[in-house]
Amino acid sequence: MRHFIIVGVLTIVGTILMALLLKYSLPLPTEASTQALTVDRVFDVHIILVSFFFSLVMVFMLYSLVVFRRRQGDDRPGEHFEGNTALEIVWTVVPLLIVFGLMALGVTSLNKVTKAQDNEAVVQVQGFQWSWVFEYPDGVISPELVLAVDQPVRFEMTSKDVIHSFWVPEFRIKQDLVPGRTTVVRITPREEGEYKLRCAELCGLSHWSMLAPVRVVSQEEYDAWLSEKTAGEAPALAAVPAETTE
Amino acid sequence: MTLMSLGLVRGLVGQLTGMVIGMAVAILVRLMLGMSAWSVEPVWVTGIAFGAIGFMVAIGAVHDWMQWIRGKKTPLRHGPPPGQPAWTRYFGVDYNHKVIGVQYGVTGLILLMLGGAFALIFRTELAQPGFQFLNPNTYNHVMSLHGWVALASILLGIGGIANYLVPLMIGADDMAFPRLNAFAYWINVPGIVVIALGGLYYGWDGGWTVYPPLSTIGSPGYQFVFWGIYLVGLSSILGAINLIVTTLTMRPKGMSLFRMPILVWAILATSLIQLTGTQLIGLSFLMLSFQRLMGMGFFDPNKGGNPVMYQHLFWFYSHPAVYIFVLPGLGVISEILPVFARKPLFGYRWIALSSLAIALVGFLVWGHHMFTSGYAPALRAPFMITTLLVAVPTGVKFFSWLGTMWGGKLTFPTPMLFVLGAISIFLIGGLSGPMLATTATDLHLHDSYFVVGHFHATIFGGFVFPFLAAVYFWYPKITGRMYNENLGKLHFWIMTPAFWVMSLGQMSMGVMGMRRRIADYDPNLGIQPIQMLVTIAGFAIAFSILLMIYNLMQSAEIGERAGANPWRARSPEWQIPSPPPEHSYPAPITVVGEPYDYGLPGAYVSMAAAAGDD
Repeated sequence: MRHFIIVGVLTIVGTILMALLLKYSLPLPTEASTQALTVDRVFDVHIILVSFFFSLVMVFMLYSLVVFRRRQGDDRPGEHFEGNTALEIVWTVVPLLIVFGLMALGVTSLNKVTKAQDNEAVVQVQGFQWSWVFEYPDGVISPELVLAVDQPVRFEMTSKDVIHSFWVPEFRIKQDLVPGRTTVVRITPREEGEYKLRCAELCGLSHWSMLAPVRVVSQEEYDAWLSEKTAGEAPALAAVPAETTE
Repeated sequence: MTLMSLGLVRGLVGQLTGMVIGMAVAILVRLMLGMSAWSVEPVWVTGIAFGAIGFMVAIGAVHDWMQWIRGKKTPLRHGPPPGQPAWTRYFGVDYNHKVIGVQYGVTGLILLMLGGAFALIFRTELAQPGFQFLNPNTYNHVMSLHGWVALASILLGIGGIANYLVPLMIGADDMAFPRLNAFAYWINVPGIVVIALGGLYYGWDGGWTVYPPLSTIGSPGYQFVFWGIYLVGLSSILGAINLIVTTLTMRPKGMSLFRMPILVWAILATSLIQLTGTQLIGLSFLMLSFQRLMGMGFFDPNKGGNPVMYQHLFWFYSHPAVYIFVLPGLGVISEILPVFARKPLFGYRWIALSSLAIALVGFLVWGHHMFTSGYAPALRAPFMITTLLVAVPTGVKFFSWLGTMWGGKLTFPTPMLFVLGAISIFLIGGLSGPMLATTATDLHLHDSYFVVGHFHATIFGGFVFPFLAAVYFWYPKITGRMYNENLGKLHFWIMTPAFWVMSLGQMSMGVMGMRRRIADYDPNLGIQPIQMLVTIAGFAIAFSILLMIYNLMQSAEIGERAGANPWRARSPEWQIPSPPPEHSYPAPITVVGEPYDYGLPGAYVSMAAAAGDD
């Protein structure tokens, strides 16, 4: 029917417009970790689906409000149909299939962003009301999180008191810190820069300001920083020159 | 008429008296056990418990049952209290479900405005970075109060819809258990008093979710939340029992389950959740309270406890709870659309069953609130899968609404506008769901303002807008007068665009890195303009609701007389006078047709008893 052709065209136009609107109004921060690349592709799929279903429902609704509005003096009832079993089955099965697709995408993307890497560096994170402390190999303790670009890191985290949560929006993946246990999150930074780690679980008075600076630097700069910190912590180790073999 | 003749006043005096007695008992017991007389939390908690009992005894909510224990009979009294002005019945124990429905609805509306006012306070603070008039402590307190007061308003509003309409819609004279009904309404009041007392005097800083260990240290205000909500939860359970029994046993001849008004199905599904899930939040809060009071180590890792276990117990109720919040409103949408489209509800049976499906699947998804919690990694995928499944029955509802509108003869009085607004907003909220259901994206969005945008949109679309639609739609029936249509439309046209702006703004900020529950934010995030917009939108929404209150109050005095059926609707309540008499139906009704056969000859119900009935 003519109605359906018009609605079909409007839905396609609506989908495109909505996708543009969503991309503009839901701006993700820069993709500063390899995990962010995976996460953002999943977001893109969602944006397309959201745009389509939003347009589909809104177009049908707005179209009906215009085309099927009661005209002055027309006291007749609406068209009498109680349902359509075929349609019901279609709009149960098709969303179910889409949802199965999302499940598959969800499982594969989750595996990708949590997968253990070879040559992971380990940083221990301690959260407490209301700040952070990072522990590197050789007993180096730092209030600032310094990471080498392209170096996969496994964070082993715990809290001293209440539940906190590790979140650098540019890295995307967050993970709670729970007292009494060690939780793990894996990040591979891919862009040098300065970021902020922000506590993402309500933890009392200064939850709002429980931040720590994050710096992603080149491998050389990282090694220099680490050896400088090591020298500061344990002067005996300073005898070892900080040259790395490339 | 004296002040003490008002039930509410007696109840509050009883609560105060009970509280003092309870506190005295606690002090005495402590002294007898050789402890110090005063300890903040045990004494207050005992006071709270005795206070709740004191309220219910003093207001008369247990009077009849106490008489029965003594072997005395009590008639089910009807009508206003003798020798008192008629309006006083709304301030005391009344057994008529129509009175109780109004009590629930008005209390719910008051709490909605109070909860909204709390939001406006911190929204004003958040409009600009830096601290203008709140500090981190007061922010946490106001934010936490906003959460529970708003959620309580939803439960009460649902109680209003269900209690007023279900008996009317099935032609019943009242609910199955009228005394239990009155009890279930009134138990909310001491609960709310307790939350207000604790929230305003002590305050608590854990939001509405009150996760331990944070909620097992710090302010005694936490105890007030635990016990206040316990009382509100009791109301949910008792009300649900009543609604289920009423629906299953009191339908008239000819009203098979698939010939009930669709709203009754929605309330039935909702009641099943309330009946079976609420215990889990009661349990979680009890455990928190006892950990604080008696040092039990449920969630204390230093005593072998597990903080994450709280989250499992809490969310096992609190996820199904959100379906409690939205299923009735979605039922209201399904109920009202056919009236203003003048054609049948599309796919009635599928819609009815989709409510049950949502209720069932809703119990299997709670772990999606915990993707970052540190629980076993293997749990993430199953919860993601079950959560995505909920989209399917929800989609059935949306498509059925479209099918109901398609080919109709649509008109747009205020109730219909709010129904359409509800659909558009629930759509936004619902479509933001899959991004949260998919674990990888949730790991970015969890505990950000995106979640805040998601649940405000689903709650406004699934409850607030439909509740407003219901208020406007049934107002002529309840009061016998029409509200002012122009003011109603103005309310809609201010509130709806404002809410769209608020939803999109909140989701946008969250994606950009704004966390939830923070008293102040980093100006470098670049979200200050959006914060300002969201604050302005909030004020616009508040203003529009005040317009409605003015409209409803003024129309009660000078509104045009509505007559029995201003909407030409088919369901039983529209076939009796407005307002309905004390006994709504003089004779049992009979169902002789389908509920939504607009345009076909023949009615849905006959107001006479079927032939052969006595």
